[in-house]
Amino acid sequence: MISYIIRRTIAAVILLLVVTAVTFGIFFILPKLAGQTADQLAQQYIGKNPSPEDIAAVKRNLGLDQPVYEQYWNFIKGIVSGATYDLGPTTVRCDAPCFGYSFKDHLEVWPQLTSRLPVTISLASGAAVLWLLGGITAGVISALKPGSFFDRAAMGVALAGVSLPMFFTGQLALLLFSYQLEIFGRTYVPFTENPSQWANTLFLPWCSLALLYSAIYARLTRSGMLETMNEDYIRTARAKGLRERNVVVKHGLRAALTPLVTVFGMDVGLLLGGALITETVFSLHGIGEYAVQSISANDLPPILGVTLLAAFFVVFMNLVVDLLYATIDPRVRLS
Amino acid sequence: MAAVAVVSSAGLLLSACSKADDGTEDTPKGAGVNAATKGVVNESTAKGGTVTYASSDAPESLDPGNMYYAYGFNFSRLYARPLMTFKPGAGEAGNELVPDLAESAGTPSDGGKTWTYKIRQGVKYEDGTAVTAKDVKYAVERSNFSRDVLSLGPNYFQQMLDDPDKYKGPYADKSDKGISSIETPDDHTIVFKLNKPFAEFDYLASMPQTAPVPKAKDTGVDYTKKVVSTGSYKFEKYDEGKQIVLTRNTEWDAKTDPLRKQYPDKIVVNLKVNKATIDKDVMSGDTMIDIQGTGVDAQTQAQVLKDEDQKANTDNASGGRLVYTAINTKVAPFDNVECRKAVEYAIDKVAVQTAMGGPIRGDIASTVLPTDVTGYEKADLYATPDSKGDVTKAKEHLKACGQEKGFKTSISARTDRQGEVDAATAVVEALKKVGIEADIKQYPSGKYFSDYAGVPAFNKKNDIGLIMMQWGSDWPTGYGFLQQIVHGKAIGQSGNTNLSELDDPAINKLLDDAIGNTDEAARTAAYTQVDQKVMEQAAIVPLTYFKVLLYRSPYATNLVSSSAFSGQYDYLNIGTTEKK
Amino acid sequence: MTAPIETTGAQTDARPEAVLEGVEAKKIEGRSLGQIAWTRFKRDKVAVAGGVIVVLLILTAALSRPLQSLLGLDPNAFNQDLIDPNTSLPKGDFGGMSWDHPLGVEPKFGRDILARILEGSWVSLVVAFGATLLSNAIGVVLGLVAGYYGGRVDTIVSRLMDTFLAFPLLLFAIAISATLQGGAFGLEGLPLHISVLIFVIGFFNWPYMGRIVRGQTLALREREFIDASRGMGAGGPYVLFKELLPNLVAPIIVYSTLLIPTNIIFEASLSFLGVGIQPPQASWGGMLNQAVDFFEVDPQYMIVPGLAIFITVLAFNLLGDGLRDALDPRSR
Repeated sequence: MISYIIRRTIAAVILLLVVTAVTFGIFFILPKLAGQTADQLAQQYIGKNPSPEDIAAVKRNLGLDQPVYEQYWNFIKGIVSGATYDLGPTTVRCDAPCFGYSFKDHLEVWPQLTSRLPVTISLASGAAVLWLLGGITAGVISALKPGSFFDRAAMGVALAGVSLPMFFTGQLALLLFSYQLEIFGRTYVPFTENPSQWANTLFLPWCSLALLYSAIYARLTRSGMLETMNEDYIRTARAKGLRERNVVVKHGLRAALTPLVTVFGMDVGLLLGGALITETVFSLHGIGEYAVQSISANDLPPILGVTLLAAFFVVFMNLVVDLLYATIDPRVRLS
Repeated sequence: MAAVAVVSSAGLLLSACSKADDGTEDTPKGAGVNAATKGVVNESTAKGGTVTYASSDAPESLDPGNMYYAYGFNFSRLYARPLMTFKPGAGEAGNELVPDLAESAGTPSDGGKTWTYKIRQGVKYEDGTAVTAKDVKYAVERSNFSRDVLSLGPNYFQQMLDDPDKYKGPYADKSDKGISSIETPDDHTIVFKLNKPFAEFDYLASMPQTAPVPKAKDTGVDYTKKVVSTGSYKFEKYDEGKQIVLTRNTEWDAKTDPLRKQYPDKIVVNLKVNKATIDKDVMSGDTMIDIQGTGVDAQTQAQVLKDEDQKANTDNASGGRLVYTAINTKVAPFDNVECRKAVEYAIDKVAVQTAMGGPIRGDIASTVLPTDVTGYEKADLYATPDSKGDVTKAKEHLKACGQEKGFKTSISARTDRQGEVDAATAVVEALKKVGIEADIKQYPSGKYFSDYAGVPAFNKKNDIGLIMMQWGSDWPTGYGFLQQIVHGKAIGQSGNTNLSELDDPAINKLLDDAIGNTDEAARTAAYTQVDQKVMEQAAIVPLTYFKVLLYRSPYATNLVSSSAFSGQYDYLNIGTTEKK
Repeated sequence: MTAPIETTGAQTDARPEAVLEGVEAKKIEGRSLGQIAWTRFKRDKVAVAGGVIVVLLILTAALSRPLQSLLGLDPNAFNQDLIDPNTSLPKGDFGGMSWDHPLGVEPKFGRDILARILEGSWVSLVVAFGATLLSNAIGVVLGLVAGYYGGRVDTIVSRLMDTFLAFPLLLFAIAISATLQGGAFGLEGLPLHISVLIFVIGFFNWPYMGRIVRGQTLALREREFIDASRGMGAGGPYVLFKELLPNLVAPIIVYSTLLIPTNIIFEASLSFLGVGIQPPQASWGGMLNQAVDFFEVDPQYMIVPGLAIFITVLAFNLLGDGLRDALDPRSR
């Protein structure tokens, strides 16, 4: 078991390194494709009428004059041991884990990420609870009586749910419940400050996200359940005279939900890396919004930081799922 | 950055503005449409309370030596005193330049090449130490000569100060001497020596860059987090990207300051608030001022204008800015003046105006200088019926240009400026009617000047003949407005703001001569002439004189919409009647 | 299989294994795969309805331009006489609906919304089909190669898929689209935007198809007919594309039908965020982007393109579901 964990962890770390390298490569190569030189990049950091010396100094400070592999190496080194940036009179010490330094905002990326993380976590976790509850319940009930009115209605709603773009439902919900009926607020309040207001502002984003995901989960649960309920061992269980509820919950549901764990891990991992659209629509200052803003400001270090964090969550959740599987699914061999 | 109106001029109020009604002061009902552009609204000397501002963004920097936005210039005066500043006043009255840290306006000598200021006695920092002339010198040095560190502000001092030794700025050049052309013969005298006569130097002295910075407390780019105050308020809290709190500066002395009143106890700026929420909060009184001062958003405008009661709380202020299309004189076929004239006639300015939000967002323009900048004189060289464009005349000029069948070109606009893209869309539609096919190319505003429209070689390569632009001058005179956009010397290989690439010897000479001339009337006449010449060259198509629609909080006192700050309310003495 | 990003709700829950098993099982009856599926599909009224709508949509998109000229519509023509200049809003109720403009006109310019919806339809479908084709091409080839050769090849391809799946897809797509906005690869304007969209959506989505094809190939390669083919001296490419591929057509079709709606939403999302199709070209996401500025005072303008996306995506999903059910007898 321990060697299994170690092997999976090493694989995850390697995967992360590859993802960062590719990200770095893409962001370095793309501006070149679009015809941008280091000089122009440097000039964006200065206002009007910069002299050549000004540009050279900025290039040196930002490390734009180094080759790409060196910039990448410094970036990776920074995560492990921190980095120091020379900004003229002052040097900025960016402590480990240093996820880069935004020269545009004069801010370290890591504290920005950590200060925004609670918003994204609040959004993702609340929505996840809702969609798990809603999706699985609907899926199970539908599967128990396939073809019934409930089944048809639930699957109809689910199909509509997956067919609605998030930015449309979210905006519509905002218009109806926040602007017109004024039931829900729009300014995020941390949970620690005021839990009820926290839930109040997050309710609409939760529901909008949950509508989308619970639709998928309901469909997955339903088809999973239908399949398992036809398996021989379920018939055996029934034949043994087990109560139907026990059959459904202990045998059917467990087997049907096992594959859902993978899906759920992946979804949560991706959402923790920033729900870009939801955060944009609801003006939540989370990781995703930070990424969108940095992209429009053409500020590379935060984009890299967010990408890395997002990839970390995905890889981490995959690892968790792998380990979970090893315990819940006896078919997984640990060799 | 360049296009951000920093300081604008005399608010020549437009006839469209209706009269203020006689709304009484004791009700929170509106004081009437445009009341704050004509006089002080809610005038009060009541002390105490908290004035709350909100911003949809976070300021890049609050360091007076590292900012360029008009609202920054406006707000910074609460904690940083420049040599000169604008007197709080409604509309045009807001344009009056008065001494702040200086005892009086600058004294020119040597034909306008040397400027001397006397600094007031008894001005102290928040920690009680006295302000000296050396601190002012240091502030100018750091903000203008260390552009690799403090990059956001303008660098007029760097361009104008006599600098034979190529001074490298205080961070690179650690010697105590500093730049030789700023002299401080004693603690209360500062002398600027320029490389050529410059008659409008007092305007430069009004930039927050002249607000003193103690060298010992300067931390370069991080100074924004610990600005040492000389104004009536000081920083209590600077919560990056969230909130800024200012409290009374106890070391500030009213006797040294005829301008500041120090009414509220506290000033709070909430950052990164959703724009729609800000508008709603201002209307309900939860927030008093939208600090960015760019006006309400499109749907708030639509809602407010439908409701007479709410409308009575609005100010439709002139911004001292011009929205225009620059015609690139170096890109074929626009190197032929006839083709440029065809565009002047073809564009339907009413369509552009409607696309940008209607007359509330700007009056139709026909001159380069906006109505509220010195040198403006009414003219319309390429008049068309109702300003809706004249296809026949445009085609005549196309014929004269040898392009009867029309041609293809591109028009650039900034992606993240919806109004600009909308205006470009309307321009394209009008040009289509005379046979000119223009393709809209959008570029992010952060790189507009450094990589795209501001790079002449890029425009040439990509056939960008028309460039959307919005321009406000850094100080409210014809020179401040025109020099950067029509003077041949302003053309740069990148970061160019003379987008037409106009290099006309007559225009250059008029501007050069004017700025050395200490006779104000003669200068103003010269600016009018430059305006006419640019229009004769058809290098710029003026579209609208930009305006903003501000919603006036009924709970804020002493509101004046000042022409000096793009029509924003002057932030110096806003108080509150609602004590929280 | 799951939703790779928050925007792409319709990530399929197709179970291609089941599809394949179903097909195999029914072969015994002696009817062809197509016949069986078609009979079963015809019985599913909802899926047929979805299919009809899809066909109509494709026709509309393909004939979008002729249709516009037939109806006398111009997606870029201004009708500012219908706009109140002070509020920028259409005069009259329901977003300026009238006989001339049955879906109303947009704020500011007064352009006809129906015309812009029509014009946007082909953009949406071209991007969605293009991206689906691209990810299918990469996914099928790599999936086949990995599944057939196994061993080290399989390890490398599988790792590659893991890596791609770990990318924050939407973030990448936005960043790349934003960077390439100005012009790249010698393209500019609309062709550039469409190519960039197809590339970013298609290129990062291939591992889903790759995984499915790999899994199926793994199962198929041990079958007798493959052995026989190899025994007769057939080379790798021949076996891959002549023997294996035809047996994978059913799951590929099902999965593609379910990937198209995902890609439609993806395209709309990027245009909504302002990095997709650029004005004045009409696109559904772009219309929603503009509508956000007015959603409180002119909700009509937001609802029309929103519904257009909804109906299109729903129709494709219904069709995809129906196809899957038809090819997989066990799912109902």
